[in-house]
Amino acid sequence: MEFGHFLSAMSPFNLALALFGVVAGTVVGSIPGLTATMALAILVPITFSMEPASALILLGAIYTGAIYGGAYAAILLNTPGTPSAIATTFDGYPMAKRGDGDLAVALACFASVCGGMIGAIALLFLAPPLSKVALAFGPIEYFWLSIFGLSLIASLSDGNLAKGLAGGAFGMILSTVGVAEISADIRLTFGSQVLIGGFGVVGALIGLYCIPVLIDLVAVPDRHLKVEDNVKSVRIGEAFGIAMNSKFNLIRSSIIGTLVGILPGAGGSVAGLVAYSEAKRTAKPGQKFGEGEPDGIMATESANNATVGGGFIPTLVLGIPGTPPDAIVLGALLIQGVRTGPSMFSQSGSVVFTFIYGLIIATVLMLPAGLLIGRYAYKSIVTIPKAVLVPAVGFMTIIGTFAIRNSISDVVIMICLGVFGWIVARFGFKASPIVLGLILGPIAEQGFVQGWTIGAATNNLVGMFFGRPISQAILAFTLITLILPIFLERRRRNTSMEDE
Amino acid sequence: MNTPSSSKSQSQIGSVIVSAFFVLAGIITLYDTTGYSDRDSQVFPRAVAIILIITAAIALVREFLKPTDEGGFGSGIWWRRCLLIITMLLACFAMPMVGFLPAGAIAFAGGLIAAMHDNWTKSNFVLYWGSGAVIMVAFYSLFKFLLHVPLP
Repeated sequence: MEFGHFLSAMSPFNLALALFGVVAGTVVGSIPGLTATMALAILVPITFSMEPASALILLGAIYTGAIYGGAYAAILLNTPGTPSAIATTFDGYPMAKRGDGDLAVALACFASVCGGMIGAIALLFLAPPLSKVALAFGPIEYFWLSIFGLSLIASLSDGNLAKGLAGGAFGMILSTVGVAEISADIRLTFGSQVLIGGFGVVGALIGLYCIPVLIDLVAVPDRHLKVEDNVKSVRIGEAFGIAMNSKFNLIRSSIIGTLVGILPGAGGSVAGLVAYSEAKRTAKPGQKFGEGEPDGIMATESANNATVGGGFIPTLVLGIPGTPPDAIVLGALLIQGVRTGPSMFSQSGSVVFTFIYGLIIATVLMLPAGLLIGRYAYKSIVTIPKAVLVPAVGFMTIIGTFAIRNSISDVVIMICLGVFGWIVARFGFKASPIVLGLILGPIAEQGFVQGWTIGAATNNLVGMFFGRPISQAILAFTLITLILPIFLERRRRNTSMEDE
Repeated sequence: MNTPSSSKSQSQIGSVIVSAFFVLAGIITLYDTTGYSDRDSQVFPRAVAIILIITAAIALVREFLKPTDEGGFGSGIWWRRCLLIITMLLACFAMPMVGFLPAGAIAFAGGLIAAMHDNWTKSNFVLYWGSGAVIMVAFYSLFKFLLHVPLP
């Protein structure tokens, strides 16, 4: 960790790469259907002729930019640009609808930079000890982590828990459609070839979030977003003030994001949901999550960007990629001849530390670049006539969904899911629990089945599911998340009755 | 125009139908699991299907005992909604025959007509269709030539 590595990261070439990567990543991430993984996969060949550290800086910058870019579509179109931005839609779109879209975009930028910095600093100073966390997580811990994520349904159900749970369960059933990962049984396809590949998460996200918005937009002549006349640009000062008042939320969410990022397979969507759940659980009186609460955006965006640095910890120290984009970076490193593993920090210290400093610099560059791009994205979305916006977004949903698996069937499924999501939402079954079930279902199933198999083999099923300390801690948090809102609601009712 | 009471009854009927659909989906899932060869494939969908049946049944019963007003379909022009979805689906089915760009143009045209609430003038006709063409060609080029997505 020498000063020379920092200077190396600050070379004009590396700075240019970091800036280019952040801008390219942000633009790609803002397009629904184009994920960070796709952006990295496409640009990897460019890095083959570069020095390993420069290549890593470019890839890290694209990754961090893409995760942040997902917030634009989530806030302005209610469509997560990347799966990591799911929870950003919960408060981002309501803010945009009431005329605070510019504020929401600026808040997302500040939070993303904060999360990205904390994740990168953890990578710089704590990589070897934190990598042990990844090894401490077995299948049961993953199962309980996904159940913890699903407990967010309780707070997304708007007072109708049964409908929320039914939606979550339906989402989990959708996640089982196709070939079973563990035993290769073909499930719930009813003989249809189209369904063998299952429901793609990104296509389902686009369908369930974006299509209902389009259906609503075309039906009425109102403007798509409310615009305050006296506001000319992104409200940077106001956003900074709000972010400063929510320091604790930002830091806590960034730490959650870093820790979840370390866990292979969990990723930004889980991190964002867990951080959002925690922010909501610890909400102050008067904060209305789900109705345009700035803390909701900041929790999600700081957490999902913190997974970038967190995800690199097991990738570099253990050679285990935390997320799909990490796997691409790992592949790029192998092609460059850099061997990952516990000795990487000593044997290839120059590459690793130059890269980490480069990632920090890229995250810092995301602030001006993100605010600038955010300003133009916001202005474009609010000023573009609805008659052009709706078909343009519709076209993007088709091309974006097709691009994921090059499948027209996926596009048809996306549109049908969208119509289904719109209909059921009209009767109190919101899309968010269905999406939660769809995303967390595979993680829960894998953890559950593996844990069940190990528990049955060792004749200790109860101990396997409830006897491990990390499992117990996650279970305790889950119960608190489920019970606390009921307790607080009862106390609030009692207090109001006493006042009357 | 929907009166509050008709909106509430529409909402209640809709909630009951959706809840019943979820119960049915749970039963179908349970039935489907009987055909799996491996027990590992059955455990999770069965557990989730049971949860789905129970929670959807609770939602259904609750709707009878304590009807909620979720708003139902509310107001809005139906032909515009239908046009948007039908043209998007039509584009998907036309894609293998006519190629991506013409199929995308069908979806775009449908969306544009559905979302156009102002009067058509010569200038906005040229502007909207022109900008639509630019957007489609730009995204098509991005995906086809830069990202190498094998668009039909």
